[in-house]
Amino acid sequence: MNPRTRQTLEFILDNLVWFMLVFVLVVFSILIPNYFQLGIFANIIEASSVLGVMSIGLALVIIAGHMDLSVESVAALSAMAVGILFCSSGIGLGIQLQPQWLMVPVSLLIALAVGGLIGAFNGYLVVRVKMSAFIITLASYIWVRGLVLVISGGRSAQDLTPAIRWFAIQRLGGLPLTAWIAIACFVVFSLIMAKTPFGRHLIMIGGNETATFRAGIRVNRNLVIAFVLAGAIAGLAGWLLAIRTSGATANLGVGLLFNAFAAVVIGGVSLKGGVGTLPGVYAGVLLLSAINTAINLMGLPANFTQVIHGLLVLAAVLLDAFKQTIRQRLA
Amino acid sequence: MSEPLLVLDNVAKNYGAIEALKGISFSIDKGEVVALLGDNGAGKSTLVKIIAGGLEPTSGRMLFEGKEFLAKSPAEAKAAGIETVYQDLSLCTNVDVVANFFMGREITRKVLGIPVLDERAMEQVVQKALASAGTRIHSLRTNVEHLSGGQRQAIELNRFVHFGGKLVLLDEPFAALGVQQTRRGLDMIRQVASQGIGVVIITHIMQQAFQVADRIVVIRQGVVAGDVARNKTSPDAVINMITGETLAGAGPAS
Repeated sequence: MNPRTRQTLEFILDNLVWFMLVFVLVVFSILIPNYFQLGIFANIIEASSVLGVMSIGLALVIIAGHMDLSVESVAALSAMAVGILFCSSGIGLGIQLQPQWLMVPVSLLIALAVGGLIGAFNGYLVVRVKMSAFIITLASYIWVRGLVLVISGGRSAQDLTPAIRWFAIQRLGGLPLTAWIAIACFVVFSLIMAKTPFGRHLIMIGGNETATFRAGIRVNRNLVIAFVLAGAIAGLAGWLLAIRTSGATANLGVGLLFNAFAAVVIGGVSLKGGVGTLPGVYAGVLLLSAINTAINLMGLPANFTQVIHGLLVLAAVLLDAFKQTIRQRLA
Repeated sequence: MSEPLLVLDNVAKNYGAIEALKGISFSIDKGEVVALLGDNGAGKSTLVKIIAGGLEPTSGRMLFEGKEFLAKSPAEAKAAGIETVYQDLSLCTNVDVVANFFMGREITRKVLGIPVLDERAMEQVVQKALASAGTRIHSLRTNVEHLSGGQRQAIELNRFVHFGGKLVLLDEPFAALGVQQTRRGLDMIRQVASQGIGVVIITHIMQQAFQVADRIVVIRQGVVAGDVARNKTSPDAVINMITGETLAGAGPAS
């Protein structure tokens, strides 16, 4: 095999999920009437912003060889905190700050802080107490959701203050600002993972933790930062979720975790750690969103989405194994 | 005579009731190659891990360049100038050769105040280091998982030659190497020592120890069973020390 073909093959393998996305979009555009419209594509991106942001945090921790099941509940708690403070009906307190725009950074900081704190708690237990991240974050997944129920009393907050709602309404190039925030997150974190020592260290920790420890990398510090980031990013996802729904309900975002998982795995991140890139995860998120949109347009019952997502995850894992064998052939 | 580079004074390590090291004392000079020999389970790897900061000794003390020394983590040992090549390879197979070579010591440049990996500079360094050692790897951007055992070990060996430091610990570094590469590896060790760097090499192969070492230290059942200059002993005498047929401190035999 000459080097040129090898390089082309490697390139295709590395970016397989993007090719799948294009393929799926083309097929849907041909087969489904009305699918091929700018508005539909904008909608695909818009609908994937919350899930996309959440997937970034999850992907960071999985690439570092660990797990964070709490992202969904953390997002819900952040959304509820923002909802209670800045909503005017339901359980909302309707706090007003002057000038109005001040509410944007304050609410954002609160959402990030709530997420970051829970992330720090998870990270501390994983690193210091050396418990399994799976169990710790499973516990967090449960108790944080419980906390959402406790502080809301099972009720909801509505009518988020217009100053914050503005992000969902104001459009730029056909997309609401919330979608741009998600895209910006992907760009920033992709650069961090690919270009900075911190990102490189996380990938190597996911590959061989002992080796990185022996090489003098501060593994524990890096892991705690990864968990804090995952929490804070989930907090940001919650903030976007509150804006999108103009408030917060006690069961807000239920099921997002599994969609985020699906997106991360489809995007080419290996659950064993050390493998995967964030642009791939974004493609995974867009792929899920494109399929959801297709289901809606075809008028299929929404319940089909779950079945299709599940099959897609299976397909992604199979594909991952298949890619491994091809790569071994190439080497 | 100048002060020794590293002095071990009665270093002991217990795992519960098991005494892995009962009290090890010896020293290493600058530019000296010490071969650490001993049967399986004699405690050689434990000793290396203690010096390298991977394990904490139960008792005893160490002097590094005349100062009290105890590395609480490999990062501290590295900062003090101690490089280690472990028996089980310490490479991340999910990243490429360059990333492994610079693991934890990446070259960066500042972009808007943020450290960014300088891939080109790192690749050039690795290219030069591998070429001067005669290691052939067809692409430095291949992930290490696709490389052979010998190539992997070569990366680790070239890494310590390049970064140097003051003391190098090698725990069976040639286990996966062929004859040619082993000879080159031994040359590398001599070359490193000639720069004034102390070298401790653990090996099972008597011939290697006699080829490269200035001094041979034998550990048996957690204590030093022999500490002799290479030119004052013979392989048979050393084997006797390892198996315990000669009393501690045995000098020239045969």
